[in-house]
Amino acid sequence: MRLYAILACLILSACNSSGDSATATPISPQPDQAVAVQFALKAGGQTAECNTTLPALGSRATSAKLRDARLYVHDIKLINALGQEVPLALTQNALQYLNVAMLDFENTTGNCVGSSALNQQVTGTAPSGQYVGLSFKVGVPDTAKDAAGKEVILNHSDTMAVPSPLDNMALGWSWQAGRRFVQLELNPDVPAVNGKTVNWFFHLGATGCKADAVNANLFSCSNPNILPLRFASFDVAKQRVVLDLASLLQGVDLSQDAGGAMGCMSGPTDPECAQIFNNLDLNLNESAAGKKDAGLPKGDGSFSKVFKVELK
Amino acid sequence: MILRCLLAALVLGGCVQSGTSTDDPARQSASWSWALPFYFPTPKVPSDNPMSEAKFQLGRALFYEVRLSGNGQQSCASCHEQGKAFTDGRAVATGSTGEHTPRNAQNLANVAWHSTYTWANPALVTLERQMEVPLFAEHPVEMGVNDQNKATVLARFQADRDYVQRFAEVFPGEPIGFSQIIKAIATFQRGLISAASKYDQYLQGKAALSAAELRGKDLFFGEQAECFHCHGSFNFNDQVVHAGSGLAEALFHNTGLYNIDGKGGFPEPNRGLFELSGVPRDMGMFRAPSLRNVALTAPYMHDGSIATLEEALDFYAAGGREIKTGPHRGDGRLNPFKSDLIVRIQLNEQDKANIVAFLKTLTDEKFINDQRFADPRRSK
Repeated sequence: MRLYAILACLILSACNSSGDSATATPISPQPDQAVAVQFALKAGGQTAECNTTLPALGSRATSAKLRDARLYVHDIKLINALGQEVPLALTQNALQYLNVAMLDFENTTGNCVGSSALNQQVTGTAPSGQYVGLSFKVGVPDTAKDAAGKEVILNHSDTMAVPSPLDNMALGWSWQAGRRFVQLELNPDVPAVNGKTVNWFFHLGATGCKADAVNANLFSCSNPNILPLRFASFDVAKQRVVLDLASLLQGVDLSQDAGGAMGCMSGPTDPECAQIFNNLDLNLNESAAGKKDAGLPKGDGSFSKVFKVELK
Repeated sequence: MILRCLLAALVLGGCVQSGTSTDDPARQSASWSWALPFYFPTPKVPSDNPMSEAKFQLGRALFYEVRLSGNGQQSCASCHEQGKAFTDGRAVATGSTGEHTPRNAQNLANVAWHSTYTWANPALVTLERQMEVPLFAEHPVEMGVNDQNKATVLARFQADRDYVQRFAEVFPGEPIGFSQIIKAIATFQRGLISAASKYDQYLQGKAALSAAELRGKDLFFGEQAECFHCHGSFNFNDQVVHAGSGLAEALFHNTGLYNIDGKGGFPEPNRGLFELSGVPRDMGMFRAPSLRNVALTAPYMHDGSIATLEEALDFYAAGGREIKTGPHRGDGRLNPFKSDLIVRIQLNEQDKANIVAFLKTLTDEKFINDQRFADPRRSK
C-alpha cells in the first residue's frame, strides 16, 4: 500500500514536472506595478469645467459653456525603451470594463447634464519596468477578451445588458446600435432661438453600421471612427494627457450651424464634421474614391493636434 | 385560371422556396402557436426571446403603458394606434416632450418578417434593437428614458404588484429591467399578424374580389404598373426574413420623391441610407413599406408628404415627383439615384381607381378590431 502511494507520487511528480517545464526553473516573478494615467480637458490654457465660461473657441472666437464632456478610451498601453507596447490591465470597476474606460469631465454643475462624479484617470497594473511612452485609442472596440479568453461584444452590445460603464445610456447610440465614443456638448454664447438655449454637439461614433445577415449581434461599420493616439515620450508619474477643445474646434464656427446636425454627429456630409475630423486626423470620408479609408485614422496618432501631453 | 395560378405563384414565391409549411414544427410549441395561412412563412424569432402567450400579454400591457415613458405621458400606442393599423395618421410623429421625429410612424402589421426596421437603417435588424431608438433616443426625444430617469421608470413597474407577478412568471429569476420590457414588447409585436384581409380571404378561397379589384390586382402584379417589384411578397414589401431564410441583402430604393439640388439631393435629415453612409448612391434610399392595411396608414412616404393613395398612384405613374415651388423645389423624376424600377408608366384614371380598389382589399378589419391587440385596460 505504501509502495503504491510512493509510486503514485513518483509518477504524478514526473508528470507534473514534464507538463510544466516552463516553470520548472523558477524566476522570481516581477511584481506588477499600479499605474494611473491622468487626463484633463482644457480649452487652450484654461481647464474646461462645467461652471466656467470657455473663452474664444472656433473660427469666430465664440465663448461657450460646457454641457457634457465624456469619452470612452481603450487599449491603453505603456511603451518601454525598446518601443514595445505593454497593455495596461485595467482595474475592473464601474468606470472600467475589460480594456475600456470612460472618462468624464462633467459633474452636473453649471449647464452640465450628466452625472455628478468626475473621472479623469485610467487605472490599472502593468509589469514592473521602465516606461517612456503611452498609446491608447479613443472609442469602444467591437470586442475584447474577458479573463477567460472569451470574446465579448462591446461597441454594439445592448446598453441594458452590459456592465458599467458601457451601460451608460447618454453615450448609447441606438440608431447605430453602438456607442458615442466622444460626447462633447457646448452652449455657445449666442442668442437663444425660440427662447431655447442653443446646444452644440460633437458626437463621435462608428457610422454606416450594418447588422450581420446571419448573426444579428454582429455589426460592421463603413466608418469605424476609432482614433489612435501615441506619445513616444510620456512620463506617467509626472505628465498627463490633455484633450484641448480649442484645437479640436479650430476653424469651426460655433456661432451658427452650417448644415447637418447642430454641430457634428459624425455625419459624413456635415460641414462641421469635415473640419473637426480634419483636426483629429481622421478621415470623415474616403480620401479618394475606392480607398476604403473612410473613418480610419490618417496616421498612428503620433502627431495629434488635439490630444497633447503636459505636466500634471 | 392559368394566369391566376401564375400570379399566386408570384405572390407565394418567397414561401414556396422557404422550406416552411403549415406542418412545420417551428409553427407550434407548448407555449405558442403561429396561426398563419399557408402562404405565410414561419417568422424568425431570436433564440433568446422565444414566443409565449404570457410574454405576448405582458408585452401588450407594456405597449399601451404610458408609465414606460420618462414623463409618463406617452406609450408605444401613442404613435401606433390599432385603428390605423398601428400608425398615427400624422405626417411625422411627436415624442413625449413634444419634439417631432423627422419620419412617418410605421405600421406594425406583420413586423415579425421585416429584415430591417425603421425607414432606412441596416443596423436595426431585430425589433429588440429597434426599440432602443424610441425608448432612449435623444435626437429627437421620443419616449424619453435616460440615465437620470431610468431607475424611476423601472421603479413604476417594480412597485406594481400585478406587473411584478407577471414579470416573475415570464422572466423567472430575472429583474424587471429594460431588457425584459423590450423582449416582452417585441413578442407582442411579433404576434401582430394581419392575414385576414379580403385579399387573404380571396387567396384562401373564402371570398371573391370584384371586377374592379381583380383588375387592380392584375395591374398591381403586372408589368404595366410594376408595383410588385418592391411590394410583391406575401407581406407586400421586398424585405422579408423568416425562419427558413438564407442570406438576403436588404433592399432600399430611391423613388424620385425629391431632387432639391438637381444632383439627386433629398432634404435633410431625410436622405435615407445616405444619412448613415455618406455614399452618394445611397441618397434617398428607403425601405419599401408593407402595403398591408395601406388604406389606413395615410399619409404616405417616409416623411408623410403624400396625403392619399390616389396621390401615391399619381406619383408612381409619373415616375417621380416634380416640386415646382418652395425649399424642396426640384424634379424628382430626374433624380440620378432613382431606382430603375420607377419609370413613367401608362395608367389611366380607371387603372388607378382599380389599383386603389385592390389596395383597399388589403385592409384587415379583423386586425384593427381584434381585442387581442387592443389596450387590455380598455378592451372588452
